[in-house]
Amino acid sequence: MQSFKQYFNAGSGLRSKIFMVLFTVLLLTMSSTVLAGGDPDMDPPLAPLPDYPSIPTDNPSGKNVYPSKMDKKQDLGYLLFFDPKISGDTGISCADCHDPKMGWGFADPISRGYPGTVHWRNSQTAVNSGYLNKIFWEGGTTSLESQAPAAAEGALAGNGSKDMMESRLRFTPEYVKRFKDVFGTEWPNIEHAYDAMAAFERWLSQTDTPFDRFMKGDKNAISAKAKKGMELFQGKANCFECHNGPMFTDEKFYDIGVADPPEFLEEGINQVSFRYQNYAKGSTEESYRTAKSDHGIYFKQKRAEDRGKFRTAPLRYTKYTAPYMHNGTLFTLDEVVDFYDKGGEIDRWGNKSKIMKPLNLTKEEKGALVEFLLTLSGEEIRLPVPKVPDYAPMADWQPKK
Amino acid sequence: MKKGILPAMLIVTAVLLVSSAAVRTVAAADYPDIGPLPERKAPNPKTVELGKALFFDARLSGDAAISCATCHNSEQGFTTRMPLSEAYPGSKHWRNSPTLLNIVYKGKMHGWDGRLDDLDDMLRDMITDSMNMNMDMQLMQERLKQDPKIVALTKEAYGDKNMGTSQKGEMTHYVARNALIQFLETLTSKNVPFDKGALSEKAKKGMELFKGKAGCIQCHNGTYFSDVKPHNTGVPENPEIFNDPQRHFTYVAYMMFMGVDDRMNWRRDVGYYTLSKDRNDVGKFITPTLRELKYTAPYMHNGVFGSLDEVIDFYNAGGGQDRPGMKDPAVTPLGLTAGEKEALKEFLLSLSGDPVAFEMPKGVTVEYQPLPDWKNMKN
Repeated sequence: MQSFKQYFNAGSGLRSKIFMVLFTVLLLTMSSTVLAGGDPDMDPPLAPLPDYPSIPTDNPSGKNVYPSKMDKKQDLGYLLFFDPKISGDTGISCADCHDPKMGWGFADPISRGYPGTVHWRNSQTAVNSGYLNKIFWEGGTTSLESQAPAAAEGALAGNGSKDMMESRLRFTPEYVKRFKDVFGTEWPNIEHAYDAMAAFERWLSQTDTPFDRFMKGDKNAISAKAKKGMELFQGKANCFECHNGPMFTDEKFYDIGVADPPEFLEEGINQVSFRYQNYAKGSTEESYRTAKSDHGIYFKQKRAEDRGKFRTAPLRYTKYTAPYMHNGTLFTLDEVVDFYDKGGEIDRWGNKSKIMKPLNLTKEEKGALVEFLLTLSGEEIRLPVPKVPDYAPMADWQPKK
Repeated sequence: MKKGILPAMLIVTAVLLVSSAAVRTVAAADYPDIGPLPERKAPNPKTVELGKALFFDARLSGDAAISCATCHNSEQGFTTRMPLSEAYPGSKHWRNSPTLLNIVYKGKMHGWDGRLDDLDDMLRDMITDSMNMNMDMQLMQERLKQDPKIVALTKEAYGDKNMGTSQKGEMTHYVARNALIQFLETLTSKNVPFDKGALSEKAKKGMELFKGKAGCIQCHNGTYFSDVKPHNTGVPENPEIFNDPQRHFTYVAYMMFMGVDDRMNWRRDVGYYTLSKDRNDVGKFITPTLRELKYTAPYMHNGVFGSLDEVIDFYNAGGGQDRPGMKDPAVTPLGLTAGEKEALKEFLLSLSGDPVAFEMPKGVTVEYQPLPDWKNMKN
């Protein structure tokens, strides 16, 4: 700062004044561009997905994705993903809320939950989750290794306890053998189970959509209509403002003004889950007593300006993941496009993003946009449901010590 | 063997024999006397009504599949007829379900290994433990707040109190546990021959043996018929625990939860060792009450004995086997005659009263209705 002042003081009065005016204009221009976020060049460009997600050094696995052959760890994770031993009452597995037949998500607006409960948000697809840095609608976990326990042990999801789930694995000879093979341990360890599931989910990636092929040079991979949609996506419709980069998400947080789902008004069990989440996630008493809409990332830091904000959803595989939004209130991609065309539904807390405004899209433009969105999904990924292994009395297969 | 050691060992053995013979002569006066149960202050009927409703309410378990009454059946002496108890779905218990009758008189060390200090602790543990009801207490609270009947009952019973909330008369998990304790207050012996002083001649003879030759009073003493302390009597293991992988892994999960070492290799129920982590405490269990045992077969922490006769034979033989030094020295062969065993049994049966008569609460459901005007009401 000292040298900055010296530089100006050294010059003649007039010259430094002209320079300062020009400099200020330049600064204002730059900052207004940043604030408005209107310049597409400032955002990561749309791009094909890398061949495989980045793999953490503390949980190495193969650099391969669907449909190539899984390595041993991925294959173990595949089996665990479908095994209800990873839950409180062995009544539900990961694949029950992330069902291959429902886009590896769940086809109700609000996901099913642990038996005796319902969840309170829409279930998101597991496909391509390995490319995300922020997971869950609040973006609250930063790795698949930490997502798995949050789901397996959450009261509305798996409701499992580590002790019980780990013990079940230890009395399943098939798992004892396979965990030893993959992790080198005498007995299965629940944290390793989560690692294997994460490795499987990284494998569960789709990198050869029409969009990816188009971006890699196959000019005929998408239709002329989709190309028009892609132009709108990055221009007039301004989707790109938040849905950018190869995963079509900036992983930032916005209130886009989604309406409340009718379930919370009409279903007693949904009201139970709603209040429970408001209580268990930690709210002020005032907030708990009055909450009727999902507060989103407010729960993290309890800042009023965070109410109603959620992490931008990725748009890949959306052909198979209806209904849409954190509460599943929009059932088709057409409804989603109409929602944005209106500039959102509701501004509950004055937090609605300034980005949300009416788009005045024509019917043809909306059609083109949907056509483009559909190019972000390839063939549906269906895997056979594996037969989960049985328990056996320890005396049958372990020598007594 | 070095010269001189053998005579020394003989002396030690002789001393041990003499001292164990001394223990055999039980002086009943050394122990808190048995006697009728003292009266307790009658609980508020409204809190009892709420507690009773909750006792039968499956919404208190994680997947809404079981209630307290599943393992503490009101028609089976508030226990079950099975040697080893039911547990939360997806697991199986490795211990016998103890009766809840007269539990309000116990005062401490609940559970067979005595890990739970008071009834509030006991209830918290039963509701939240993964092998019991696997429930998130905050979710339970919200489930109960969804039921207008429970909400109204709570207002009536706790309208002047706020427990864990700013609102008087609001249902919270504190209130739920308190109401359950008030309900347990009602589960006490009624019309017990022993308490009324209405013993047959044979039973009186049995009482004499109980306090004397049979030495039962060494551990089963006081009005609750238990010293509420851990003892190892050498009860044989129930092989079912280790033959059934679901029971075995439930037990291993419990040992993990309690921080027990070497948990993959234990092939016996370590009992009080779970708490003390002292190897001398392996196989010790808290003395159970003998009241209402007419309704609570099978017996022992693992239900290995199906009848009172088996139990009496077990003690008559000096208890079971364990490694040297592990078993309680109070348990020695008794030399009871067939007639004495009959008398003892007669006395034991006189400790049970009328079955606790019971009307099941009506309208227990796991369904939830939407609250009217939900959008505008305060949560």
